[in-house]
Amino acid sequence: MKMNLINEFRTKSKRYSRSGESFLKDWMILILFVVLVVIFSVTSSTFRTTRNLMNVLRQASFIAIIAMGEFFVILIGNMDMSLSSIIGMVSIFFAGFAVTMGLPLWVAVILVMVMSAIVGVINGVLVVYGKVNSFIATLVTMNIIKGIYYIYSGGLPISGLPESFNFFGAGYVGLVPFPVILMVVIALLLYVMTQHTSLGRSFYAVGGNMEASKLSGINVKFVVILAFVLCSVLTAIGALGITAKTLSGNVTLGENLLFDVMTIVVLGGTSLTGGRGRIYGVIIGALFLQVISNMMVLMSISTFWQWVVKGIILLSVVLIDANTKKD
Amino acid sequence: MDTINAIKKNISQEQIRDEEHPLIELKKCTMAFPGVKALDDVSFTLLPGESHGLVGENGAGKSTLAKCITGENRMASGELYIDGKQIKLSSYSIRESQAHGIAIVHQEFQLMSEMTGIENIFVGHYKSKGPFIDWKALHKRAAELMEFIQSDVNLNIPVKLLRTADRQIIQFAKAVLNESKVLILDELTAVLQEKDIENIFRIIGILKEKGMGIIYISHRLDEIFSCDTYTVLCDGKYINSGYAKDIDKPQLIKMIIGRELNQVYPPINQNFGEKLLEVKGLTAPNAFRDINLQVRRGEVIGIAGLLGAGKTELVHAILGNHKVTSGQIFVGGKEVKIKSPEQAIKLGIGLVPDDRRMLGLNMLFDIKDNTTLPSMSRFKKWKVFQDHKAEAKAAYEYNERMDLAYYSLWQNVKKLSGGNQQKIVIAKWMLRNSDIFLMDEPTRGIDVGAKFEIYTLINDLTKQGKAVVLVSPELEELIGLCNRVYIMFEGALMDIVEGERKTQGVIINSLLGINEDESN
Repeated sequence: MKMNLINEFRTKSKRYSRSGESFLKDWMILILFVVLVVIFSVTSSTFRTTRNLMNVLRQASFIAIIAMGEFFVILIGNMDMSLSSIIGMVSIFFAGFAVTMGLPLWVAVILVMVMSAIVGVINGVLVVYGKVNSFIATLVTMNIIKGIYYIYSGGLPISGLPESFNFFGAGYVGLVPFPVILMVVIALLLYVMTQHTSLGRSFYAVGGNMEASKLSGINVKFVVILAFVLCSVLTAIGALGITAKTLSGNVTLGENLLFDVMTIVVLGGTSLTGGRGRIYGVIIGALFLQVISNMMVLMSISTFWQWVVKGIILLSVVLIDANTKKD
Repeated sequence: MDTINAIKKNISQEQIRDEEHPLIELKKCTMAFPGVKALDDVSFTLLPGESHGLVGENGAGKSTLAKCITGENRMASGELYIDGKQIKLSSYSIRESQAHGIAIVHQEFQLMSEMTGIENIFVGHYKSKGPFIDWKALHKRAAELMEFIQSDVNLNIPVKLLRTADRQIIQFAKAVLNESKVLILDELTAVLQEKDIENIFRIIGILKEKGMGIIYISHRLDEIFSCDTYTVLCDGKYINSGYAKDIDKPQLIKMIIGRELNQVYPPINQNFGEKLLEVKGLTAPNAFRDINLQVRRGEVIGIAGLLGAGKTELVHAILGNHKVTSGQIFVGGKEVKIKSPEQAIKLGIGLVPDDRRMLGLNMLFDIKDNTTLPSMSRFKKWKVFQDHKAEAKAAYEYNERMDLAYYSLWQNVKKLSGGNQQKIVIAKWMLRNSDIFLMDEPTRGIDVGAKFEIYTLINDLTKQGKAVVLVSPELEELIGLCNRVYIMFEGALMDIVEGERKTQGVIINSLLGINEDESN
């Protein structure tokens, strides 16, 4: 009798095999990515060099970190437009603290992190307590922050960050760039958080059905605010990395990144209505986009054409996604 | 087939009906979805001027049958005659069925909630004067329609501001405007109160006089007896049809679920423990005022009231999900200030909400995740990580106790039947080890068989020493399950009935706000 029960539990707790079609859909981006890499490697001798491949990984890493932040906000069914300004804010204030004010680097890092976290809290509070649509709320904070850092810097870059800081953005550990290691570590941490902690599961619950989650005892307000804070803080880490590459604070760093971040999150299979998505999807999305960018650079296609191509990519993914949904 | 012939003979006595010219005749319809035979050799006849109740459990094939008639589903085999003409099935479509005058009104409203009643009635059929909409003509036509169905609904405000019942009347007006010959009402009244249902049958009567045929699909057995004829389906098979006046409720139930139900309600538990929940003078503006109630371990208390009496708000207030301005709540004898559902759940309160799709379950989650959602913190490895295996085991254990029909814990809850979904919501709180179960219309929109299973579950809960607060629009349910019924009228407590006074008559009076002494 007992054996029977155990066996029945085994069958009912078995993950049922999904149809090949849905498997293909889930992993479409990964498959496309692999196909792309193979094609590019075969056709281009420059592309397949270790140096270039590591370069692609390095370039993908910081934008991937930022996209992982946006991932959380989209996962709970909201949108954070303010990250493009947070990048500029972090960059210019970090250089301001470290160069103009002469504070130690670690103090400057902590200060900009705190600033970003505060922006995240403000976004979250506006959405949760102010009941403002997140698109509008973050659009407003985006513009306010933009105003503030232009007032602070007058739009001029602040250069002169110490050489040692360059390691953060462009250093190598053996063959592997440091940013790639950072990205992998953050991704692993966030993966474990989303899949194997109750807090992580709460993001999915809130994104799937906010009211039901509230009635099931989840602190919905906390989860929403936390998502915005995570987004801002991860964006700050990414912004520091990008700043480290050029060793100067620059307000224009984030201007064209919002589009790429959105593309990556959507490429990674995150549902824009919330409740569905995976961290590794974001990483694959970032690599996918970077490989295409890299190939376009190698083929010396102009930046303007790159925008057109990226736009078409995002459009195709959204179109495919919208038209293959079963119900 | 014999029964149908018998009906035809009987019908010749009636004036309006014309058995020689049925509006719809469906013969030997078979329809299969991958893996299941949704309809198996089903025949169905609808005569002009007839209201025909179509009954059966969820998944019995009622809606599938309706969709075969409207052309939304293509049947695998069978014959369909509309107005005596055979329809070519291979090219039959919704468009064609509409051209034949077949209209369907779904349970889910197909109205534009921001637009006014007038706009909703005429959308797609606007009369214009030059390039402009001729509002005057539309208003005149709308008034005629309303007069025809003898109803009075404000058509000049956005329909979202209207009561559910009034919105349904607009749907009727729309069907009449299109001069439909056949009107299919699919689970229309699942969300209506008694007197609105009466009103709907009054309008159905008017439409019948005009010679329209009505197909009435419903879970509520009482409503079937307001129809002329009935057809019962069970597991996609034709069971029986005949005159509604020739059968009684137990016979109908037997046909629907394929077995007899001797005991509808299990015996009410009389073995009480200590007082678990007490509410004193609880008041929330615009919802309810000065509510006093208490419930002991092993007890079920019922809350009765019409729509808008404040029942749902009351249970949400106890859970900390509705603002109260004054009053006290005691749990286990201690006064508590409940500010959020999170806190209430920690105190051992769990809510089974009225709208399980929107409030009860996360439709993107699987069975396991839905079951363990409030109890996640109990399954930890090294105090940080979720122990998915232990969660699955617990979810399995409780869902088995509920007799849930499923094949995998990782199955999405979206496609489960209403009854099965409700079982998961209850299992969720059993797993959380809640003591106080607030149940807001737990049997709404679920079929007869599953209803009785829920009744048994409620009874089992009381045997385990839990306390249940049951909100229900069905008086029979309250009388059959509760030790005590609190009756609310427009936000105030009108009466508390138990023992001998727990009868339909007494409760109805209080529901309507009639003081017993005055009426005597």
